[in-house]
Amino acid sequence: MEALQKFYRENRTLVTWLMVAAVFIVFYLLTQERLNSLRPSRMVQTTITGLLVGGVYALIALGIVLINKASGVFNFAQGYMMLFGGMLFYSFFSTPNVNPLAAGALAFGTVLMVLAMNGWRELRNLRSLGIGVAAVVVLTLLMSWQGEDVRMLRAIVGGITGSVFVGLFIERFTIRPLIGQPLFTMVLMTLAVSEILKGFVNLIWGSVPISLQIFSGLERLGLPNTIRWEAEFLQGRVVVRTDLLVTFFLALAAFVGFVLFFRYTNVGLAMRASAENQQLAQSVGLRVRVILAVAWGITAILAMLAGVLQGGASQLDLNLPFVAFSAFPAVLLGGLESITGALVGGLIIGLVQDWGNLLYGNQAGTELMPYLVLMIVLIIRPDGLFGEKRIERI
Amino acid sequence: MRKVVLLLVLALTLSLFVLPTSAQLPEFIKHTECEVDLTGETITIYHFGDISGPYAFITQPLLAGLADTIAYWNAHGGICGAMLTTDNKDTGGNPAQTQAHYDYYRALEPKPQLIVLYASGDAELLRNQVAADQIPVIISAGSVEGLYGEDGQTPGWIYATNPLYVDQLGMFCEFVGANPAEFPDPVIAYVSWAGAFGEAAFMPEAIDYCAEQGVKILPEPQYFRPTDTDISTQILNAVDAGANIIYTNSLASGPALIAKTLNDLGLLDEVKLSGVNWALDTSVGLLGRTSLADNGLPAVNGMYGSLPFRWWSEVQHPGVAFNRELATANERALSVQNIAYILGSTLVDLYHEIYVRTVNRVGSLSAITGSDIKETLDNIDYNPLDMYNVNFANGARRSTTGNRIAQMFFINATMTGPATSGDDAMKIPNPDGTNIFVPILVPRTEVQDVPDLRPGN
Repeated sequence: MEALQKFYRENRTLVTWLMVAAVFIVFYLLTQERLNSLRPSRMVQTTITGLLVGGVYALIALGIVLINKASGVFNFAQGYMMLFGGMLFYSFFSTPNVNPLAAGALAFGTVLMVLAMNGWRELRNLRSLGIGVAAVVVLTLLMSWQGEDVRMLRAIVGGITGSVFVGLFIERFTIRPLIGQPLFTMVLMTLAVSEILKGFVNLIWGSVPISLQIFSGLERLGLPNTIRWEAEFLQGRVVVRTDLLVTFFLALAAFVGFVLFFRYTNVGLAMRASAENQQLAQSVGLRVRVILAVAWGITAILAMLAGVLQGGASQLDLNLPFVAFSAFPAVLLGGLESITGALVGGLIIGLVQDWGNLLYGNQAGTELMPYLVLMIVLIIRPDGLFGEKRIERI
Repeated sequence: MRKVVLLLVLALTLSLFVLPTSAQLPEFIKHTECEVDLTGETITIYHFGDISGPYAFITQPLLAGLADTIAYWNAHGGICGAMLTTDNKDTGGNPAQTQAHYDYYRALEPKPQLIVLYASGDAELLRNQVAADQIPVIISAGSVEGLYGEDGQTPGWIYATNPLYVDQLGMFCEFVGANPAEFPDPVIAYVSWAGAFGEAAFMPEAIDYCAEQGVKILPEPQYFRPTDTDISTQILNAVDAGANIIYTNSLASGPALIAKTLNDLGLLDEVKLSGVNWALDTSVGLLGRTSLADNGLPAVNGMYGSLPFRWWSEVQHPGVAFNRELATANERALSVQNIAYILGSTLVDLYHEIYVRTVNRVGSLSAITGSDIKETLDNIDYNPLDMYNVNFANGARRSTTGNRIAQMFFINATMTGPATSGDDAMKIPNPDGTNIFVPILVPRTEVQDVPDLRPGN
């Protein structure tokens, strides 16, 4: 036994790669027969569908990564923030005559939270107050704009306003008071937040599934529901759902936007600095509290976007937050701090799930395969595919 | 003589207050007469289920049905004068919570005489415990394991008011086998949710029985999750294996997603969709409008399924009319007027009958034990709100047996029958810019007994 341990210590890398090779050989042997029996169209179909479904996982993963980058907290409330944001969007989307008072109250609450990101004293600043009043008026007008033709605009403004309010509220009243406490406390707080959001969704919208018809407009734009591709070499037909395609490209656009945001904007750069070392960032004049609040606000918008896209492709109900369970391995796979990792991780998980279903059925794909792949990757790269290697001296 | 008449009038007047009878309820409800006055007493319906988790969209309408009917009942004399109340606990779909709530209930003093459950998984978890504690349970429908144990031959203390899931699949196979023109060379693929409920009907006994009916069931089931956005891989797995019928033990978004996927893949004409009793629900019809077939109707149009009770569209039926009036009076949305609402309302009537029979036999409410209720359940033969029959064959069975096969269609604009295309369908404009198609269920068979497909039978 000691000799074995000694051999492992001295040849750790070799042993790890041998184990990975063994896994791949077993995988190949187990799937060889099934693979040979598959038509090329099935493989193409599964690959495309897997990637498209992975787009939403990537979007959810991005929200989790963002909070982690800003504060080191793993946000378990992301799933319910998705549902809450999706429901807010739905309310504005499906209500032609939004009560101006309700819209005004929401706009006022959101603007108040934005102005007070760095503390309530900011409200004494007359210039800020003036901008705030103007923002409340504009937001109220947009959110209560009557008519069916403007429902998408109304829903986008309402969804974003409501989500920002929720994100900032969570940060201000549940996370900020815990600054200085062990990170685990904040992680537990996100669990509590998820339960509270679940309660509110139940209270306001009930539990009957809601059909969010955001993709019904595609037909009016002349786009088909599905894109069909038939070719001789495929030996069959490949069908791609337009709604999933749109979802995927919107998710991709959000990614590009955030990569640019982090690379080229002052706030984005400040967030990266703050994530690296909060005390150091504060010492050079960065307002860490504001950065944290901005991160929660952006995360809430991302969650809303994911909720709307996922809800549009399926439906809005209390099952929706469980989609986040598929995003958790995506985050770990890509690396907790990496935005690129969130994208790649999400796509890999989507792909692995669908291929698992294709090869094994019986939920091997959705339940087992993502975690199997995650395990293998973490053995080789404990920080994930794109995670930062950290060396802590003890 | 005048004194005698006065005394008689007085006695009659008093009896109206002292012995409230079921005469105050609609006449079509035929209860056993109360022999014991329960005025001043309270009967609690202890219910715990997934009120806020994945199955909440079924449980919430159930609670609505319970609440509306209880309010009506109490306003019309209650059960022999006893007022009804509920004690609902939320499991959130978490088995640990199910156990915690059950522990709370069994620790009550006096402990509940009867409990209402909802999920198949909960029934399987608590089967042995309720038997040990002698607390009978009513569940809407259940798995073999939950009602009869792993050997399928040990009736427990849990009684289902719908046929066993595996029996429903067996009856569908009978229907398919008897209609070869409609189902040529039938091959069924089992495509369902994973978990105790979703997997409950896929049993060797069903495969064998269906084979006897000339219907093949593919040996490899395909499972998916309620959260899945796309299940084209599972559907194509089934079709590639030769399936031309898909049977699902899922509800709400489950059948709607299967129909949407069949539509997207262009397989609606080649593959027929069918399902468990929960699949033929309003929620499926409403969610189904996200995917319209070439004829302009939702892709779920024509789906087959089990219909073990009367349905909302059977408007002439007094039990259905009662439910409609109740739901309308309480301003319940169309989405709440579903299968679970019916179960909630009929449950109250069933409780009434169970308690009247038991208290008539035992003598007082406080003297009733779980065993007394079980004895009543074993011997009951009653039609709650005349919507279905509850008869547990003198204790030999733990689920009801009456069932029909029906199809889901969408009503036409003149409300005279199913629409043949989107153009002649009744469409209610929805605020989100789309149209709501109103689902109706059309029975294809009369009510008949399901086959008994418990293991060993």
